[in-house]
Amino acid sequence: MKKSLAGYFVAGALLATLATGCTSRPNAEELKQLEDLKAEITSLERQIAAKQSEAAALQKAIADKQAQLAQCEKEKALVQERLKGM
Amino acid sequence: MKLMKSVILVAALVLFVGSTAAAQEMTKDEWQKQMTEFTAKRNQLKSNLTAIQAEVDKLKKEDAALAAAVKKCNDDLMALVGADAAAERAFAAKLDEIDAKINELSRLSNQDLWARKGEIDDVQKMLDEVKKNKLSALSKYYERIKEQQNRLDALKKTLETAQLAMTYTVGTWAKDRDCLWNIAKKPKIYDNAFLWPKIWQGNKDKIKNPDVIKKGQVLSIPPKADLTKEEKAAVRSYWNKKKAAEQPAAAPAKQ
Repeated sequence: MKKSLAGYFVAGALLATLATGCTSRPNAEELKQLEDLKAEITSLERQIAAKQSEAAALQKAIADKQAQLAQCEKEKALVQERLKGM
Repeated sequence: MKLMKSVILVAALVLFVGSTAAAQEMTKDEWQKQMTEFTAKRNQLKSNLTAIQAEVDKLKKEDAALAAAVKKCNDDLMALVGADAAAERAFAAKLDEIDAKINELSRLSNQDLWARKGEIDDVQKMLDEVKKNKLSALSKYYERIKEQQNRLDALKKTLETAQLAMTYTVGTWAKDRDCLWNIAKKPKIYDNAFLWPKIWQGNKDKIKNPDVIKKGQVLSIPPKADLTKEEKAAVRSYWNKKKAAEQPAAAPAKQ
């Protein structure tokens, strides 16, 4: 009984070895290609995040300037009115 | 025999573990699948980056155009009031000076304020002058000047109220020993008898002869201050008249 169990085990190990040994695997250069691609994706994601922040800052600056311009135009009208009364 | 069995078992175990580890490594198919997937993702990200860069460029242009518009509007505003930065600085300094004067006058007691009432008029003149400047039409100055005028008006009001509040009702000579000299001497009035001409001159409509005041007369008390030229002149005139009146009476007495 013990003998047959050991035999099965050896046969299984041999089969597994044969099965994996026959599968084709990427070589080192191909693996590097994949790693480079992943690094490029990470870099692109960072650049996009930075640009999104820049766009948000610009939108705020634009909103501020629009408010300044509106205030200035209002002030111009007021000053013209006051100067008439001087 | 036993040894042989053990060697076979160990070798089988090593082969099994080795093959299991190899099975966990990526296969070519898996690599290809990941390459395809990541390439698509990279291309999508590149496209996104291009799009957001275009958006940022557009926003930068918009921001620059707005900055130019704001500058132009401010320049137009300064052209409207006909002033440059130096003129504006000088104008603001004048307003600071007025503020400082008003602050100083506001801290004075009513009596001291009365003594320096001329300064209120001076500040009013300064304020009238700045109001003529076109820069005063700018809101930041317009509101400030308005506030200064309000504060100055409040000071004038305080002065008027203080003047009205300072009165003295004359009592009797018998009971209160009230004459202008004694009234001026009272601690609550001037605490200085020599300032009696101030009360006289402040009540010229009620007091024709400073030696004669009547019970119940309500005299206004001008705030404490040195005698003015007019008050001193009035005192000299009073003493001269008094001497002149005494001389004829004195002459017969010598005889």
